[in-house]
Amino acid sequence: MVLAEKAPPHGGTHGSTRDWRGWALDRAPFLVACLMLLVIVGVYGSYQTGVFTLDELNLDTSAAMTLMLAATGQTIVLLRGGIDLSIGGMISLGTVIAATRFTDDPATVLFWSLFVLALGAAIGALNGLLISVLKLQPFLVTLATWSILNGTAMIILPTDGGSVPGWWLGFGYLTLFGLSSPVWMLLALLLFWWWFRWTRLGITIQATGSNEKSAFLSGVSITRVNVLTYGLSGLFAAGAALYLTTQTGAGSPTIGKDYILPSVAAAVIGGVSLFGGRGHLAGTLVGAFILTLIGNLVFVLKISSYWQPVASGVILLLSVLASSLAEKAARGRSA
Amino acid sequence: MNAFLARNRLILLAYAGMVLLLVVTALFSPGFLSASNMRSTVVLAAFVGIVALGQTFVIVGGGIDLSVPWVLNSAAIIMALLCAGQDLPLIWVAPLVLAGGATIGLINGLGVAQFGVPPIIMTLATNVILQGLILVVTGGSPSPAAPSVIKFLSVGRIGGIPVIALIWLALTLIATLLLSKAAFGRHLYALGTSATVAEFSGVPTARTTVLTYVISGTTAALAGMLLTGYSGVAYLGMGDAYLFTSIAAVAIGGASILGGSGHYLGTVAGAMVLTILTGLLPALNLSSGALLVVYGAVILITVSLGSEAFAGLASTLRRSTRKT
Repeated sequence: MVLAEKAPPHGGTHGSTRDWRGWALDRAPFLVACLMLLVIVGVYGSYQTGVFTLDELNLDTSAAMTLMLAATGQTIVLLRGGIDLSIGGMISLGTVIAATRFTDDPATVLFWSLFVLALGAAIGALNGLLISVLKLQPFLVTLATWSILNGTAMIILPTDGGSVPGWWLGFGYLTLFGLSSPVWMLLALLLFWWWFRWTRLGITIQATGSNEKSAFLSGVSITRVNVLTYGLSGLFAAGAALYLTTQTGAGSPTIGKDYILPSVAAAVIGGVSLFGGRGHLAGTLVGAFILTLIGNLVFVLKISSYWQPVASGVILLLSVLASSLAEKAARGRSA
Repeated sequence: MNAFLARNRLILLAYAGMVLLLVVTALFSPGFLSASNMRSTVVLAAFVGIVALGQTFVIVGGGIDLSVPWVLNSAAIIMALLCAGQDLPLIWVAPLVLAGGATIGLINGLGVAQFGVPPIIMTLATNVILQGLILVVTGGSPSPAAPSVIKFLSVGRIGGIPVIALIWLALTLIATLLLSKAAFGRHLYALGTSATVAEFSGVPTARTTVLTYVISGTTAALAGMLLTGYSGVAYLGMGDAYLFTSIAAVAIGGASILGGSGHYLGTVAGAMVLTILTGLLPALNLSSGALLVVYGAVILITVSLGSEAFAGLASTLRRSTRKT
């Protein structure tokens, strides 16, 4: 199978006996990310009381969920070996449509939510189509569609504003068994991934990301894979936009750009390879938690909030270096 | 002649697009072609063009530089702080700031070439780290006014020609010589086409890669200093727009984002196209949102024209017309 070219994220055994070092090297970036998250939570917990409570988990997850949704779509695209910059435009456009079209009537909210989701999927599919049919680079195509979507959002709503119904704003505070709705969404994302990555489409996306040529020779339609991959990314970006409006209560034509590169960073910190075929959504979600908690950490350490970007940049570099070292070590072992 | 046309098809297309845009803009807004308006267009294009010079080298080498916004912004703020509005300190501040930009480029290049970090991640990381450090240093407060020498370089004129246009022209000449005549240029195209083949052919790939990022850091720092002269002060966020425009100018100028093709002369046309569009939209009474939509459409159209698929279609058409 094509996947065998690069070791699959799970289930790769080195030799006849299960080799724990090989196992750890395969997952080194993910394990490093978990370690970093533990350290951050540990430091945070020692400076602040009440960190190890459900309330804190609910709060942090609701803060991280927009990035998590955006990064889920980005992860799928990265596994395919592409990149999607247009999610920034889609997020802006989604919040702007929601904030200008939602009324107190739940039926309108439902209609426009479905409209935003469908629009996201359609625009993503269009990205995939342009990339395959015109044989263009994902970076440039999605840069162009980012610009178009962002411009459209600015035409609809030139400055931050609009409003959503009060009950829509309460979404993040809904709880079931003590866990807030964002935490349930997080569990749903993991469940989705657990199912999706071994579906036909999930396997095909990873195989195509590993080696496009051999995937094509095995009968994979590259156009179909691209349309579905970028379509999913657009869908998740639209979901992120809707979720974001439950947090901010308003539309913003410029907010989306804050999620483009962080979504890539979250995935990379979690061990998703930019070269395609390698990675796991669990890693991305850990990465998104790390990027969100750095803000909390800077706050409780009482240092200038300006250190936050510095810290996230350093963490990004460290995790990338860790994964490239691990890759070298793994290659040395298999050679 | 035909070979020349074929080789430089995309660059010529960019210039054709530029001329077309000038004509269209002149039709919609008769004052557009006036000397004063052309001068201000060239001045604005020069900032994009200077940032995009380094970006061109990096992209031709198969990389990308996302650190330009905060290299530019840091250069502007550090220069303004150290000069405190005086001209004399520029003697040491200007070289220092340029060296600082080059050093960031060196770090980017070493990360990419020696440690195998993907360019997007490496330059993204240095960008956010610089952003944070500059905010920590300044505490977010605005900086002193630009020295008058810098103001002269960015808005002054010599014999009716903007000084910055002359600077841009000189840089264009240097970049063209580097790309077309120097061994470095040949190495760069080889590296961008295939790093593996280049390595086995004896091209110093690591050194060439590092140099492209050093050039990009330096030109971003230069643009930062000059832009301070244009706006009068250095402010936070002044570099943000240049990430998109520098990459867009290179793409419109016909370079492949995969590396190995393109030329700075194309990027010059790309920078002009982007700036003329900025001037066209107020004439048509369109908003800044519409400008972004047009930017996106222009990028899509130009990269489509340069794509394999389009070239294949064009040659099929040519063959079929020759047959009949």
